[in-house]
Amino acid sequence: MGQKVVEMNDLTKIFGEKLIAVNNVNFTVEQGAIFGFLGPNGAGKTTTIRLLLGLIRPTAGEVRVFGEEMTPGSSELRGRMGYLPTNPRFPPKMTPITYLDFVGKLFGLGVEERMGRLSALIRSVGLLGDSSREIAGFSTGMVTRLGLAAALINDPELLILDEPTSGLDPSGRRETLELIAKLGKEKTILVSSHILSDIDRICTHVGVISQGKAIFSGSIKDMKKSTRSHVVRLELEGGVERLCGALKAEKWVVSFETRGDFAVDIDFDAETPMADAVKGVTELVSRLGLDLISISSSTSSIEDAFMGLLRDEESRRFLTAA
Amino acid sequence: MKSRAGSSRRPNAGKASPFWAIAQADLKGLFRSRITYGWLLAAVFIQVVRTLGSASSGTTSSVVSSGLSDFVYVWSLVITALAASSVSSEAGELADSILSKSVTRLDYVLAKFASRMAYTLTCFSIVSAVLVGLALRLEVGDYSAPGLASAVLLVALAMVTLTALGVALSVALPSTVVAIVALLVLWYSMTILFPVVGLGFVSPGSMLGDLPGVIKGAWGGAEWETAGGFLAISAVSLALSSAYFHSKDI
Repeated sequence: MGQKVVEMNDLTKIFGEKLIAVNNVNFTVEQGAIFGFLGPNGAGKTTTIRLLLGLIRPTAGEVRVFGEEMTPGSSELRGRMGYLPTNPRFPPKMTPITYLDFVGKLFGLGVEERMGRLSALIRSVGLLGDSSREIAGFSTGMVTRLGLAAALINDPELLILDEPTSGLDPSGRRETLELIAKLGKEKTILVSSHILSDIDRICTHVGVISQGKAIFSGSIKDMKKSTRSHVVRLELEGGVERLCGALKAEKWVVSFETRGDFAVDIDFDAETPMADAVKGVTELVSRLGLDLISISSSTSSIEDAFMGLLRDEESRRFLTAA
Repeated sequence: MKSRAGSSRRPNAGKASPFWAIAQADLKGLFRSRITYGWLLAAVFIQVVRTLGSASSGTTSSVVSSGLSDFVYVWSLVITALAASSVSSEAGELADSILSKSVTRLDYVLAKFASRMAYTLTCFSIVSAVLVGLALRLEVGDYSAPGLASAVLLVALAMVTLTALGVALSVALPSTVVAIVALLVLWYSMTILFPVVGLGFVSPGSMLGDLPGVIKGAWGGAEWETAGGFLAISAVSLALSSAYFHSKDI
């Protein structure tokens, strides 16, 4: 990694002088990264992607791809990119073969190359049996798979995937994630998704956007570390009440909260290293003779890290407003 | 990192291909549609009936003028629907399927103009060829060959103008229905109202009034004004809509 494939510098987009969809966003995607783009609904993810593709113009700032500024006229740059939109819409009367052939022509591919690629791609996305059917009759999952094939027809260096697992069944989702991980070895990928576990599974870096503002950019590991709140979660086979009684006497425990009948979240002192907290908890469990099912640091989950970031941003906004 | 095949950066691969790909796909879709078959069948049938019905009493100039006027008053409805839906009807897939690829805005707009004009002129040529062919065989000939060709070309130019206005409105307006209505209002205003307000030289209605004379060989200065006016309107439509499309967010 090293070379910057995507750079967003103070990127801003205001629609109709009323809606600030993207507000002074600064993100960088380096070559070889699988960059996860996270944010709640309406955060500005799709708008940012459209700016990245030159479909809309920024109100302020710029977006650079492969070192060049992206504009609506940057057809050469888009020739090095592949894009899978969310809930894609394709010409309904076309078939996968005619559509991929059309897209290949848009990228200036020769006949032999186009035909070779499209047949390989149709096979790899599992649409061989439907290759001559009109797209109008396709299910959501089939359309998504066709979209993925279209995004790869030009063998792009940068792949932009907006909700790539949308509409896929569990096995389709797994296959798509495996494909993305495999493609990530050769290409730079930007994935926008609501499914945090997908992002956690395949991405090396992540950018979080909320209400148009970038609130985090960095590696997944750094994201989880930065929001660590010193919590250990235990799942027990009974005896939760006894454990809670014993925890009251422990000095390194700040607070604890039961989760149902089997789990306890223990918030420990910030000065206490994680290893000591885990040791203290396991010793306590052993002393009480309880049956431990699992122990984890709840902040190692991307969901908690993501929600923590959103909460922090919300607090910052209130403080600023006050 | 695996080196790129570089296929999308082959010499001269970018500029021409998207234009031809879009124009070709558009034309294929148009010529495969039932509207085209229905229109051509109906139009050819009407020309046959008209010329056969006028076999004993009609003149070439009157029959050909009458047949060509169908394009201004009747077949313009079909051209309006097809031209005014050229861009707005695919607004939903425009960004996802086309403009997110290696395509410039100009490629797309020019391809749309080119394909819809080629379509209009092809259908016009088929129908007018039948009309003129039959009129020449059956009628007493009160025509001159250059005059006949000029008349056909004038009406062809009017159809090109109608198509250009339609595509331009389709680019500018987000709704197909609104674009169609706007074009109908504009076209029939040009045809019926323009002569009243002193703009008769770009009125298809006034042009039709001069057609019998043109067919007989009477080509005055007014016809040059008409042709120039139609060309100017078409060129301005193309230029303004291209500029607008280049600047708008998709």
